[in-house]
Amino acid sequence: MTGFASWKSSPIVLGVVFFAALLLLWESAVRFGWVNPFFVSRPSLIAASLSREVQSGELQRNLAVSLGEFAIAYGASVMIGILTGLLAGRFCTLEYILDPFLWFLYSAPLIAFYPIFVIWFGLGAPTVIAVSFLLSVTQITASTLSGIQNVDPGLVRAARSFGASERDLLWKVILPASVPMVIAGLRLAIGRVLMGVVVAELFGATAGLGFSIAYYGGLLQTTNMLASLVVVVVLGVLCTQALSALEAHFSYWRTDLRI
Amino acid sequence: MAVLVVLAVWEIAPRVGAIDPAYTSQPSKVIAAGIQIVRSGGLLEDISVSLAEFAAGFALAIIVGVPLGLLLGTFRVLRYLLDPPIMAIYATPHLALLPILVVWLGIGMQSKIAVVFVGGVIPIVVNSIAGVREVESSWIAAARSLCAREWDVFAKVILPASLPAVVLGIRLGLSRAVLGVVVAEMFQSQAGIGNRIMRYGSEFRTDYLLFYVLLVSVFSFTATWSVRALEDKLWTSGK
Repeated sequence: MTGFASWKSSPIVLGVVFFAALLLLWESAVRFGWVNPFFVSRPSLIAASLSREVQSGELQRNLAVSLGEFAIAYGASVMIGILTGLLAGRFCTLEYILDPFLWFLYSAPLIAFYPIFVIWFGLGAPTVIAVSFLLSVTQITASTLSGIQNVDPGLVRAARSFGASERDLLWKVILPASVPMVIAGLRLAIGRVLMGVVVAELFGATAGLGFSIAYYGGLLQTTNMLASLVVVVVLGVLCTQALSALEAHFSYWRTDLRI
Repeated sequence: MAVLVVLAVWEIAPRVGAIDPAYTSQPSKVIAAGIQIVRSGGLLEDISVSLAEFAAGFALAIIVGVPLGLLLGTFRVLRYLLDPPIMAIYATPHLALLPILVVWLGIGMQSKIAVVFVGGVIPIVVNSIAGVREVESSWIAAARSLCAREWDVFAKVILPASLPAVVLGIRLGLSRAVLGVVVAEMFQSQAGIGNRIMRYGSEFRTDYLLFYVLLVSVFSFTATWSVRALEDKLWTSGK
């Protein structure tokens, strides 16, 4: 009886079962003609379309383009965001200068600047990178800044009173103490970069996952469209899981913070 | 102060020929464009279209999201069942669903309402679940030991205690929803603010475009700020 109870309450088993049931329902609903396959396609058709795209190399091409843009935008925003956040956290003047812009960029619908970026950089990868970079760098800067501001002032005072130099303070107190917030920022930013890449590609690109979704959407080929969407979903889940794992790894440092 | 400097540089640089004004426009031109847009009278129509889509989608997100989140937070089996799909949608950029929603619902208001709904509902559900789960278990035990019925425990302990998290979810959903309206209208539409942004963008009318973008930013900022004020009030009254 206890065995049954633990089986029943296992989150992984229940989740997998429900997911399988959902796929089965989807497949059979279309097969039995309850829903029009034109609109929702079928899991088996989507799987077939994916394997066809893998064989023809189309998926790899799109994935390579999107991942390339993703890597450049995320890499640049991680470096610049953390650096800016650190400097702004250290020097009040810089923080006051950056603050209004940061808040504006944070609350502005940045993708709406997309047409301006097209004017500046033309259609294609540079625009996609610029939009995703901007989306992500604001998040990372804001999180790093608030991580540094939330360092326990008692720790800083204690280190000072033991004669720590500015450099010791930065490397041995402030940086380690702000790591959890920085990582939380990285996790939030990775979702924003992915969104930036996919959405910017929807609007105007010549390759990439977002482009492929919009392209097949324009042709009303639901199956191919959903196949690309599935890849995006998997990518999103993988990215978030990876960063969550990283976050959990560092979380023993976490103190009570409310952001 | 820094804002003034940037505005001044932005105004002066194109004048002395350091940058091409077609790329960046100028603050004075953006204001002039704003006055022109307001005078021509088309603005109200665009705002009402976008606002209607936003309001319908977001209201729907709250109506569905809050009860669903509270329900999932309370019943563990239900949560385990629905957790993977919700997490998958949470990790997915919701705007990637745009093309499929357009195929399903057409290029009219329905597809925008759907995008707003999807963008708004997920943070609301996730945070409502977290809100219920983080309710101090000793409070529930205390209420039970005072012979509170299940419903009373829910309505008088769990619901008030999880309210701040629910409102946090609404705030997080809000900015996603605003983005949803604008981007959905930019993608495919017949009217609305996003439609204007895309049109002026392709006509290289940077000044007009910036005015609309600023309008959306101000709206998004004000809305988020007011929910945040409500949130702070709830936190302080809760303590």
